[in-house]
Amino acid sequence: MDKNEHTEIIELIPAYALGSLDAAEAVTVSQHLAGCAECQAELAAYEAVVDTLPAAAPVLAPSPALKKRLLAQVQSKREGKTAVSPQPTFWQRISHALRQPRWQTAVALAALILIIGGLFLWQQTNQSAPTEIVLTGTEAAPEAQGVIQVAGNGREGILTVSGLPPLSPEQQYQLWLIDDGQRVSGGLFSVSADGRTTLTIHAPQPLTEFSAFGVTIEPAGGSPGPTGQRVLGFNL
Amino acid sequence: MTLTHSFGENIARQVQYRSIFKEKSNEALRVDERQLDDTVLMTQISRGNEKALAELYDRYGRLVLSIAYQIVGQRETAEDITLETFNRVWEKAHTYQPDKSKVSTWLTRLGRNRAIDILRRENIRLDKDSLRWADVTTEPVTDSHNPEIITHLTMQQERVRQAVASLPETQREVLALAYFQGLSHSEIAQSLNQPLGTVKGRIRAAMKTLRQLLTTERPNY
Repeated sequence: MDKNEHTEIIELIPAYALGSLDAAEAVTVSQHLAGCAECQAELAAYEAVVDTLPAAAPVLAPSPALKKRLLAQVQSKREGKTAVSPQPTFWQRISHALRQPRWQTAVALAALILIIGGLFLWQQTNQSAPTEIVLTGTEAAPEAQGVIQVAGNGREGILTVSGLPPLSPEQQYQLWLIDDGQRVSGGLFSVSADGRTTLTIHAPQPLTEFSAFGVTIEPAGGSPGPTGQRVLGFNL
Repeated sequence: MTLTHSFGENIARQVQYRSIFKEKSNEALRVDERQLDDTVLMTQISRGNEKALAELYDRYGRLVLSIAYQIVGQRETAEDITLETFNRVWEKAHTYQPDKSKVSTWLTRLGRNRAIDILRRENIRLDKDSLRWADVTTEPVTDSHNPEIITHLTMQQERVRQAVASLPETQREVLALAYFQGLSHSEIAQSLNQPLGTVKGRIRAAMKTLRQLLTTERPNY
């Protein structure tokens, strides 16, 4: 391999991963890549960077109707496929076979195993399920809702809120974690025009050990303790 | 603040939290697709499980719609692209190769490529000033109820937005034209009336900085 060529090409890899090279350069890089492990590794690293970029696009919330349209389209495709299929499907053949008497004992046994397995899984799920703490709107914000999903070692969580009115730039919402009457800030946030946002919480102790949670309106930048109107709350 | 509690108090709280969560988890148990890993969801979709497709849409529909909207600038067209992307998943889930890319990557690549195709085919002209990266504030990135998915996507959003926000405005601008509009170096140079070498240098510098920030700041990236 020509060392000068390699030095030039490796500088083009970031733009190649982004797809911004002009056609002639892209062809040159592509040809070089086929025989250069170092450039292939560089490309993989930069492609990983490009693949994170959607997270930096402003979020547009889909309308609920969009999901319904998707499921209706899929349903209609499924029905279309069924209508043109003259042969019984795999599941239809299985279903027919299972209705034969010689299979019925085996089916009953399999059902019993599934039920026992299901009960075991249900128990496991309940034991290992992450905790959610549901916050409800106060009289000041009756439409507001919030859920804290506890993650990791219990000291981290995500607060997702909806139905909160957007505030002026001089104000922010502040989450309070309350234990034995002591309040610590769980973080500051603002909401989008549709009243929603999420906040990452890093708490000094497991979130489930707090006795209450609250959200108040505070001056931008936050307060050492709650001073403004309470809009969301949860008390054990 | 007192950080310690009696054993009895802690147990009482855990029981009450558990009871709140149980109501929700009963719902989750009926729709167990919510608990499935992305690649398992893809296998379920390839077998014709519509609930698995609905769950995948809940997880990543917002992401695909947002990227499509940023590219074409029209909500209706962006929604059509999102529908097309998930319809393609429904039909082609069996071709997905987990060793090649993550499911979310596969989806956003499909959505972005389709949106850029439409942008070029329909010759949609966007004001380059309307192209923008989000600021560092986090926004709801998923409609999934799976706590692991929500945590992962929210933390990733926070990390990537901070990295992009740390770039100089001149680098963010060329990066947006390349990523959201699919423009080449020459096209960007022409659009901004800047020397070609300047554009190349800005893109290279932006990508190198992002790589450094996203691969070394957080070891779990």
